[in-house]
Amino acid sequence: MIVKFRPTRRAALMGLSALALPGGIANAAPRRGGTLNFMQNNEPQTLVALTTVATPALTVSAKVTEGLLAYDYDIKPRPQLATEWSISPDGKTYTFKLRPNVKWHDGKDFTSADVAYSIELLKTIHPRGRNTFANVTGVKTPDPLTAVLELSKPAPYLIKALAAAESPMMPRHVYEGSDPLANQNGNAPIGTGPYKFKEWVRGSHILYERNPDYWAKPLPNLDRIVFKFLPDPGARSIAFENGTADIGYRTPVALSDLDRLKKIPTLVFETDGTSYSYNVANLQFNLDSPIFKNEKVRQAIAHAIDRAAIVKTVLFGYGVVSASPIAPGLKEFHDPAPSPYSLDLKKAEQLLDEAGYPRGANKMRFKVPLDYNPIGDENRRLAEFMRAALARIGITIEIRAADASAFVKRIYTDRDFEITLNGHSNLFDPTVGVQRLYWSKNFKKGVPFSNASHYDNPKVDALLEGAAVEIDPVKRVAMFKEFQEIVGRELPDINLYSPLYLTIKNKRVHDDSMTADGVESNMAECYVDG
Amino acid sequence: MTVPAQVDQGSRAPARRGRKLRAFTHNPAFVAGSVILALFVLMAVFADVLCPGDPFDMVGQPVLWPGQDPEFPLGTDSLGRDVLAGLVHGSRVSLLVGVVAAAIGLAIGTVVGALAGFFGGWVDTWLLRVVELFQTTPTFLLVVVIVAIGDPTVQTIAVAIGVASWPTVARLVRAQFRSLREADFVMAARSLGYGNIRIIVQEIMPNALPPIIVAASVMIANAILTEAGLSFLNMRDPNLISWGGMIGSGRDLLRTAWFLTALPGVAIALAVLSLNLVGDGLNEILNPRSDP
Amino acid sequence: MRMYRRVGASLRRTALHAGPTILGIVVLNFLLLQLVPGDAADVLASESGTATAEGMAAIRARFGLDQPVLTQLLTYLNHLAHFDLGFSPRYNMSVLDMILSRLPATLLLMLTALSIALILGILMGAVMAAWVGRWPDRVLSVVVLLFYSMPGFWVGLMAIVLFSVHLGWLPSDGDMTVGASLHGFALIGDRLKYLVLPALALASFFIAVYARLTRAAMLEVQRQEFMRTAQAKGLHPIVVQLRHALRNALIPVTTVAGMHLGNLLGGAVVVETLFGWPGMGRLALEAVLARDFSVLMGVLLLSSFLVIIANMLIDLLHAWLDPRIGAT
Repeated sequence: MIVKFRPTRRAALMGLSALALPGGIANAAPRRGGTLNFMQNNEPQTLVALTTVATPALTVSAKVTEGLLAYDYDIKPRPQLATEWSISPDGKTYTFKLRPNVKWHDGKDFTSADVAYSIELLKTIHPRGRNTFANVTGVKTPDPLTAVLELSKPAPYLIKALAAAESPMMPRHVYEGSDPLANQNGNAPIGTGPYKFKEWVRGSHILYERNPDYWAKPLPNLDRIVFKFLPDPGARSIAFENGTADIGYRTPVALSDLDRLKKIPTLVFETDGTSYSYNVANLQFNLDSPIFKNEKVRQAIAHAIDRAAIVKTVLFGYGVVSASPIAPGLKEFHDPAPSPYSLDLKKAEQLLDEAGYPRGANKMRFKVPLDYNPIGDENRRLAEFMRAALARIGITIEIRAADASAFVKRIYTDRDFEITLNGHSNLFDPTVGVQRLYWSKNFKKGVPFSNASHYDNPKVDALLEGAAVEIDPVKRVAMFKEFQEIVGRELPDINLYSPLYLTIKNKRVHDDSMTADGVESNMAECYVDG
Repeated sequence: MTVPAQVDQGSRAPARRGRKLRAFTHNPAFVAGSVILALFVLMAVFADVLCPGDPFDMVGQPVLWPGQDPEFPLGTDSLGRDVLAGLVHGSRVSLLVGVVAAAIGLAIGTVVGALAGFFGGWVDTWLLRVVELFQTTPTFLLVVVIVAIGDPTVQTIAVAIGVASWPTVARLVRAQFRSLREADFVMAARSLGYGNIRIIVQEIMPNALPPIIVAASVMIANAILTEAGLSFLNMRDPNLISWGGMIGSGRDLLRTAWFLTALPGVAIALAVLSLNLVGDGLNEILNPRSDP
Repeated sequence: MRMYRRVGASLRRTALHAGPTILGIVVLNFLLLQLVPGDAADVLASESGTATAEGMAAIRARFGLDQPVLTQLLTYLNHLAHFDLGFSPRYNMSVLDMILSRLPATLLLMLTALSIALILGILMGAVMAAWVGRWPDRVLSVVVLLFYSMPGFWVGLMAIVLFSVHLGWLPSDGDMTVGASLHGFALIGDRLKYLVLPALALASFFIAVYARLTRAAMLEVQRQEFMRTAQAKGLHPIVVQLRHALRNALIPVTTVAGMHLGNLLGGAVVVETLFGWPGMGRLALEAVLARDFSVLMGVLLLSSFLVIIANMLIDLLHAWLDPRIGAT
């Protein structure tokens, strides 16, 4: 765990450097200069997270294009482009005071007009912005440094949605009058951020350089950041070992390799900076299927799943079990109570018999295909684990592989599946990340990561809709707790675990993960040793 | 005058047949290749006897090196699965895909090549165009696209490889038929009133077989290599263990457990080697060169 | 003079022939790609981790993905006639720019691999033919057969284990050191370092092919009449070998090499993916997975051009190597 200090106090605390903890205290003044080699798994398609929220785009976007706020590890807001903010008691008016003397990389001033334009843009074309800003009726700009958002209904999650990678502030003068989807700013962005775009050689690398006129001078510390893309986990391990990569996140290497890498003295493993988007993996049922319509079958499968074993074998221990769709990391909302269906194979067999699926001549009850989301490496192993687990209670699984596009088409467009292994991010608030899976109005054919199971429970709908506009935090938490109890009992899906993501870095790198979104932030404070 | 010749022929016939058989058994390439190939086939057929159980079962401690644990002579992979069981069972997929893909390719290619070579004229021109169309598309990409159309199952992969590889056979068969259709025995058959189909199948085809047989072994070898490449790129059947798939899974641990990638590769190389040896041997036997 | 006429006739034939072939390729591949499930909008949405129906509809409308197949095909052909390869939804740039950005890397890898394969292959084949039946031939035959049987990507993997992981001599990923602005010899040296392993992995199979072909062709040629004439003339054996045997053996080797040139693009897919080489093979694979059919069609078209050009060059090369081959 990195212990952070503000620059002003660092000098005074240098005397305490003798008590250096592992992981390193920022006990010396940050060094100015140097290059950070940032390694990503895949190349982004665009450098501004306006039209996409794909992971590779988030890191590159936030360093150039900033947001109104930043967040500490508990997702409590801190100033970035906005210095002060207030929400009216009825939750329908948000007032932001903007930071003065901020300039875009081309020299023009950053004003509230940019904020108003950006929020409009996010509302129309950002994949999540459509829903996040759905209640926003307009943005007033009484003066160049004040922006006022007016909402038709409260949106308690909105204040958490303003991070750089989530709701980037775009330069109006570059986008106005053009087609935002085709605007070449996405390939060579202008922003207010600590780093300026220098070059993008497709298939090879992206180069960012220090912005000498950054509003938080003398930051940034780094001279430049080089982004490289290594789609191969083995190559990434090698890159960390031989020092060609300085930092990578979301556990960029094969889990099986972690133990070996941890023994290497030049590498540091960081767990902070992953609280903005916890993932939860789940097994989703197609509730329109004749087999899985039957709740006894679903309960039987729930009795046959050993979450602890999954975390141990599939994730090599790098995960936390979660019977709830809300990740354990979202501490205030997560219900830590275990699933009402404990690991009990006998009960599972009994339920299946009762459901009318006795063991046949070949010892098996029925055979179903299992589709898994091919994005990420764990799901394939998880599928193989499931096959073994369900075979024990007499269900034969036939694993079906598909690439991302075919998977999306099969699950969401054609709905040609029985069970699927999937994963979703909770994002920064359950209304944004979790509601979409259980809300009956989000059953949309052809839209990925929507309500795939076709779950339809009016009580749950009411709870979710209520929580979406509830400004009393206590009442909101209670609504989510009740929601978790109901879905935990009715089992439209079975939630399994929340992976523990690690940021791996060379020990020469410091102050990279100072916020909830870690390296997906603007990383202005990051510095490297000589 | 002819009688001594006939007697001569009669006494020579069994000797000639014996000579032909000896040609096979005395050809070192053919013998070596056949032995190794036979071993692989036996391994595939008796996989369940040699290594009972499901090769996907997580039976041991993960990442054991070969020789570390006598129960797992070739070690285990990252999920604790027995490498030896994987190699033995994996032979099934590799050989099956190889043979089926080659069969499909041979079937399509032979039909197309025979028709083009025999009839000539505009049939030949148009069929040749189709062959060219397929040949200008990079084979591997074509296979990838066809696999993407269906599910990555063994059947789809075999069909994809077969469909992408027929052009080479077609050209070969066409060349054979073109040269053979003017031969004396064909003219004789025609004068006897034989129909085209009968001529193609009964007269020309048996004489055109030798290079096709050699091509068959090469095609099986190439199909195995292509399947390995596909598996490595994760386009494999998730329910069946294959050598290429083992290389793909083992790639994550290239740094420490490189045997996970090495061993399946050796298996592939040996199987393909045996097929190439058989092919070379067949080539020497069936296409003898006149001695200087 | 006759040479020029031959070249001219050859070029004309190629051009006449190429037109319909290319049209056929476009139509065939386009229709084939329509059979693949899912489209670019699905992929973009799935990679985002979030999507809305309106967003996906917008993407589809923008790239004409919601139109009937025939309309899309005609639109594509129309653009093609104006030398416009289209716009990539995934990379947000024109297909032509995308391909041109990857073309140099691919050409570098392919030509290097092919050159290595030809040089080493012909050399080994010549040695085997010259010492036929004796131990150099036997040993090399085994080596060649091994190269012929090992999957290229596996050779690459083992090379990485040896040279990159254990010895640390060569890098295992990418085509250059990024961020270091090198010039002159340092630049060449850096690029060469990255080129060695992928080129060898790609070349390994073809070394074997050319070696076997050269050996077979040289042995064949040695039996022919004119060789005995040359020997009877009293020419030095090496001269005989080089000027006559080798030169005639080059014909089948170059034919096959030419055929491989077009296919090398596909064979490079696995090697490029393994080594993270930013080439067109990897681009094509990514395009299939991302259902970015404009890019894929662009790559397929380009490879067809390569094949056609290669065939043309081979025809010319043959005319030079063997004067008996006329203009027919």
